[in-house]
Amino acid sequence: MKFASKIFQEIWAVDFEFYGNSGDRPTPVCLIAHELLTGRTLRIWQDELSKMQSPPYSIGPDSLFVAYYSSAEFSCHLARKWPLPTHILDLYTEFRNLTNGLPLPCGKGLIGALTYFGVDSIGALQKEAMRDLILSGGPWSNDDREAILDYCQSDVSALVLLLEKMAPKLNLKRALLRGQYMAAVAKIEDRGIPIDIELFNRLEENWELIKTQLIQNVDVNYKVFEDGHFRLSLFKKYLIDNNIPWPKLETGTLKTDDDTFKEMAKVHPQLQQLRDLRSILSQLKLSKLSIGKDGRNRCLLSAFQTRTGRNAPSNSKFIFGTATWLRSLIKPEPGMGLAYIDWSQQEFGIAAKLSEDLHMQDAYRSGDPYLAFGKQAGAVPPNATKQSHRNERDRFKACVLGVNYGMGEKALADRIQQSVLEARNLLKKHQDTYQRFWWWSNGALDYAMFYGKLWTVFGWTIKVNENPNPRMLRNFLIQANGAEMLRLACILVLNEGVNICAPIHDAILIEAPIDELDDKICIAQNAMKQASKIVLSGFGLNTDVEKIKYPDRFSDRRGEETWNAILDILTKNL
Amino acid sequence: MSEEKVVKIEHKLDGDLFENIDQLKLDQNFSESIGVKKQISTIPIRKPGRQDFIRVHPDDSYRLPTAILEFKEEGENYLISPDLWHELPGEVTPKMLYTAINRQDVPFLWPVRLADETGRLDAWNRSAHKAAQLAIEKWVRVASNRSLGAYEIFTPTGELPEPEWPDINFQEILRIAFGDYQINTFDHPVIQRLRGEI
Repeated sequence: MKFASKIFQEIWAVDFEFYGNSGDRPTPVCLIAHELLTGRTLRIWQDELSKMQSPPYSIGPDSLFVAYYSSAEFSCHLARKWPLPTHILDLYTEFRNLTNGLPLPCGKGLIGALTYFGVDSIGALQKEAMRDLILSGGPWSNDDREAILDYCQSDVSALVLLLEKMAPKLNLKRALLRGQYMAAVAKIEDRGIPIDIELFNRLEENWELIKTQLIQNVDVNYKVFEDGHFRLSLFKKYLIDNNIPWPKLETGTLKTDDDTFKEMAKVHPQLQQLRDLRSILSQLKLSKLSIGKDGRNRCLLSAFQTRTGRNAPSNSKFIFGTATWLRSLIKPEPGMGLAYIDWSQQEFGIAAKLSEDLHMQDAYRSGDPYLAFGKQAGAVPPNATKQSHRNERDRFKACVLGVNYGMGEKALADRIQQSVLEARNLLKKHQDTYQRFWWWSNGALDYAMFYGKLWTVFGWTIKVNENPNPRMLRNFLIQANGAEMLRLACILVLNEGVNICAPIHDAILIEAPIDELDDKICIAQNAMKQASKIVLSGFGLNTDVEKIKYPDRFSDRRGEETWNAILDILTKNL
Repeated sequence: MSEEKVVKIEHKLDGDLFENIDQLKLDQNFSESIGVKKQISTIPIRKPGRQDFIRVHPDDSYRLPTAILEFKEEGENYLISPDLWHELPGEVTPKMLYTAINRQDVPFLWPVRLADETGRLDAWNRSAHKAAQLAIEKWVRVASNRSLGAYEIFTPTGELPEPEWPDINFQEILRIAFGDYQINTFDHPVIQRLRGEI
């Protein structure tokens, strides 16, 4: 097999082996780099790597860097303080894109991809034993060293075989854009999120005592615990006393799973603390957060993992995946500040522009699309405000958000705690008010069902398998274009020299010295607006900012009560 | 000897990826690509539902004064050809067929009895015609009131959007609504049954 290119002077297929504890930066063990146009191969062991000031291969604009899940390779670059390549072709993102939505019996890994294309990958079966040998962190004998290098080289050979299969199917330009995001991900993972490690350790050491005390303190408001155990009969009484209708199982028993508590806490926020308490009590450990020796939360962001192309970091390892109260452990280091910047009503804005629904766009521009919907539908007077029509606005909000997820009348009725008739009327109002949006949304669904696929502005594609989910397909264009917007924003923000600690759904957490924080926020906001304009053809989305300066800590409104209760216990008793 | 396969890594890169990013963008208007049109396969012949807000088609070519043979027990309505009306005295009922639509975008034919040869029309049907006339201009809800002996007509206080009428002509509506339930000849089995011939 021979590779040829008129646009690249060099094409490097690269793989590192590395090890490292959870939360820490990786330690590179070896590197294999194979240049496809000349057939040259570099085999470099860690002692040589540690002396190199820059990569032993070209990373300039005339070269292409090829890898499978390249952010891992870039974490080794960053650990060695090497710059990242200009052009990145990540066959993982491209394999995900080619097969997104389809069942993959052999998974999304390199072996799975090779198997998918019918390439013999038997050599990869020894992977697990070799991985254990590498993760042991050495020291390694000369034989081990050769074996590890050979193993790494077998992955590069596999990568080259995969490239051969995938090259004719690629749109290189869009692939390079996704490759840029993998570089951004590596930089974000490398930075990590600053954690109040001292407090975290204190919480962990006293976790059992905190749990016992927490039941006493929190249950004062609910009276649903007896001898340290949650009692269903007492909970039932609480619900009756407080006039809260509660979902039941088919057997008639109250549902007590966390998802039910989560949904109900949205409608009845006073239940959030009880939900947190039940969740805390179900955990043996405070958390499985992945925190490095330097006190920073680092974990794999798992880019492009979901069908919509969003990141899917582990909920237990990533602090923004954990219970909301635990996020108060995020604290800037001395002299530093953080800013949480999120797009205002991103999904509504995306739906408004992609569908070209002018009424929806007007509602977005009003700054309060939920109330604007009510006004446009004639359900509240034109002079209605958030204060004068709070309950109505909550219902419009539930409807507007629910529509994006294909929420039906029954689910909406549960959410707004109104009759099905009321929910049906609300949905009908939405259909009447935003007719163009519904035409677009129905058309997208029809297209997906007829042609078997949909794609975003930059070609992230979902394929329809034998069990299509119409609600997911309807929502795909909004979510997946939202993911495109976040990816672009991360690239642009980092290119502007602003440090990102984490991407979070429709937001980023940035970090800067306190005296530079305002400037960096301004730069990041501009970049986020630019990203929205690129995805939405000139329709810029606004952003909201929450600043946290040392010694303050991050706070999520939903977890405040629980966090304060825990701190109270820690202060009074320990 | 077989020729070695060459894998090409191409695609012209026009300078910086971000400077020309719009070139990478794909259209998101899937509706226009697929152009799906709703096909009307069923048009009920009935009174408006008690809870339905309805409109009547403003074009008078979408209504027809005709005669209907109605079998209430079977819930069947037959459209009778005018040249057969005189053959079925007392069996057919003169009715106006209004093309109507509800808020769920379901079109239907609303049959309302017309005055008999003496010119009499009861209050029920007079109020129904009045509602149909009003429904040409605005959304109405029609509900029977037994103590009143007529239909009550309700109009919404809020603004509702104009209905979206299906893009088919009245002949097509009649064809879909009545299907096989049209009688054009005297030897139709239904007429033979009425005459006691079968």
